[in-house]
Amino acid sequence: MKRVLGIELRRSAALGAALLIAVAGTIVLYTTGGRWSAGWLALATTQREYLALLSPLALAAGAWQSYREHRANVAELFASVPRPRPLRIVPILAATASAALAAYLVTLFAAAPRIAGTARYLPPAAFAVVAVGLVAMIASIWVGLAVGRLVPALATAPALAVTGFAVLVFAPHALPDGGIATAFSPMGTSMFSDYDTVADQVSAAQALWIAAIAAAGVVLLAAQSRRHALTALAPLAIGAIATTLLVPTGDAYARGTLDPAAQRLVCTKDTPRVCVSRAHEGLLPEVAPRARHALSLLSAISVVQAHEDTTTYSPPTAPEPRPDTALMQVTVDNRGHLAHPQRFELAMLIGAFVTPPACKQVADFDAATTAAYWLLDREPTVGLDGAFLPDRKAVDLWKDLKRLPRAEAEARVVAVHRAAQQCRDTSNLLSRSAR
Amino acid sequence: MTALTLYVRSRRGPAALGAALAGAVTAWLLAAVSGQKGQVTGVVLALTVLVLVAVLTTTLGGPDDALDRTAARPWGWLRVAHLAAALSGVLVFVAATLLTQTRFGPFTCALRDTAGLLGLTAGAAVVLGAARAWFLPLEWTLGAAAFSGTGTVGEALTWQTQAPGSRPAAVVAAVLSVAGIAAYVSRGPRPRRSSENL
Repeated sequence: MKRVLGIELRRSAALGAALLIAVAGTIVLYTTGGRWSAGWLALATTQREYLALLSPLALAAGAWQSYREHRANVAELFASVPRPRPLRIVPILAATASAALAAYLVTLFAAAPRIAGTARYLPPAAFAVVAVGLVAMIASIWVGLAVGRLVPALATAPALAVTGFAVLVFAPHALPDGGIATAFSPMGTSMFSDYDTVADQVSAAQALWIAAIAAAGVVLLAAQSRRHALTALAPLAIGAIATTLLVPTGDAYARGTLDPAAQRLVCTKDTPRVCVSRAHEGLLPEVAPRARHALSLLSAISVVQAHEDTTTYSPPTAPEPRPDTALMQVTVDNRGHLAHPQRFELAMLIGAFVTPPACKQVADFDAATTAAYWLLDREPTVGLDGAFLPDRKAVDLWKDLKRLPRAEAEARVVAVHRAAQQCRDTSNLLSRSAR
Repeated sequence: MTALTLYVRSRRGPAALGAALAGAVTAWLLAAVSGQKGQVTGVVLALTVLVLVAVLTTTLGGPDDALDRTAARPWGWLRVAHLAAALSGVLVFVAATLLTQTRFGPFTCALRDTAGLLGLTAGAAVVLGAARAWFLPLEWTLGAAAFSGTGTVGEALTWQTQAPGSRPAAVVAAVLSVAGIAAYVSRGPRPRRSSENL
């Protein structure tokens, strides 16, 4: 079998196809590095999303291989061999499957070094996502083989690839429920936050459906005549029913998209404590010194530790508010490092002076920005820090605050923090006496 | 006339034309059924053009190109006419939809994609042979359909799916078209013996 597989690999288009697919996959992964720099699971889901490109190429490779066999004009010769067709197709199935696997894994390993230095958290879900992607690649190339045999024409391969692309990209929108749409789409869904995950049940349902498609492809390829081609519908029907029964829907599906383990905090051993989520564990050395500097500036307002803000919107979760803790936003840049390190402290300080989202009181960002800049002892500058655009009002407030005696200014800043924590309006606290 | 008929037949012209028509009708039906009113998106247009070009360019090579070459025919003119026919074939199919409710347009985009992809395929046929010519256009267009780039470099790299006003996209399409067509007209597809396996 090993020798046959070797011959088949050399004889068929499998290796060339694997190379082309791997090159395409690596190019698109590297051009969109910002989408998966956050961690291993982000890489796994992003690559699987790119099945939109990889799977049609695998379909085309399969169809092209079948067309080549058709052109070789040896079908009659092979049919004279005393071996049933289902056994005869095993080598080509194995060769194409290993090519598809190799293409997907080479793409993955080509991308991995980029985040190997910063990514730490490796949940089991990442392996499940990669496994589903691998099964999808095998299914694609086998379906390509089967369709290429049914319609042995040169244009079959590109036409099949475009059809596959259209089905993958446009068809999931036709399905109503998020869970069902995900289960029937091998691409899965994008990650909207770094704490997202793919529930095991969803991965299992996807794998089941894709395995059913692969089985249909094998049945179609093994069929002796076109009359038997319809039997390929049987695995599809069974797979569709089982997938629908298995996949969680509605709220259960929405809950499963969040990974509480990724949100759990990992802290520095020494004080002042700085904690980031497990998903951003690798960024702790970058975050800790900056957070500690900000904490030292906040010493007047009894904040002694910094936690990552692990708020998510779908499903909605928020960290427990604690009076002694400042929350910080940790975002990852294109290269896997802390994004916008130069304005990290400013953002963290501003966060300490705005009313928490749970309050009804609308946050006054002018007061918060002014207080943060006063602590940093820097004049608010327009546009310098990118996202923060202190308007004239914040600059004027800051100048007034700067003219005051230090003790008085500090008292006002502390008052802003207290008011914000108690959900009160902070608008006028900087311009009137704290006493 | 007989020579031309034989040429078209040896390249399986009628079958390719029929398949292209079927492809265009299928794309139009799918777009119409999926409820897209008015103009389809740039991605749908690019993919449709890609399929039509891929189907029509299967005719770029004959059963035995090496034998073909030995014939004293005005090959340059034949190839120019061949590519012009393929170009106008795609454009006629696409333009026909402009008369309906579901329009595959704008026409300038269709022209840019058709010319660029035809040039790319013709160029690939020179290097890789007619049978393998669809590899690169397919890979590139699917990539561009999945990720539409922005900025000058991004628009140039994903020229197939850009808006009609994009200058980098138009330039890339024009360059590919001129270079590919010139190469094909002067050199022809990579010769292949009928006995050679693919």
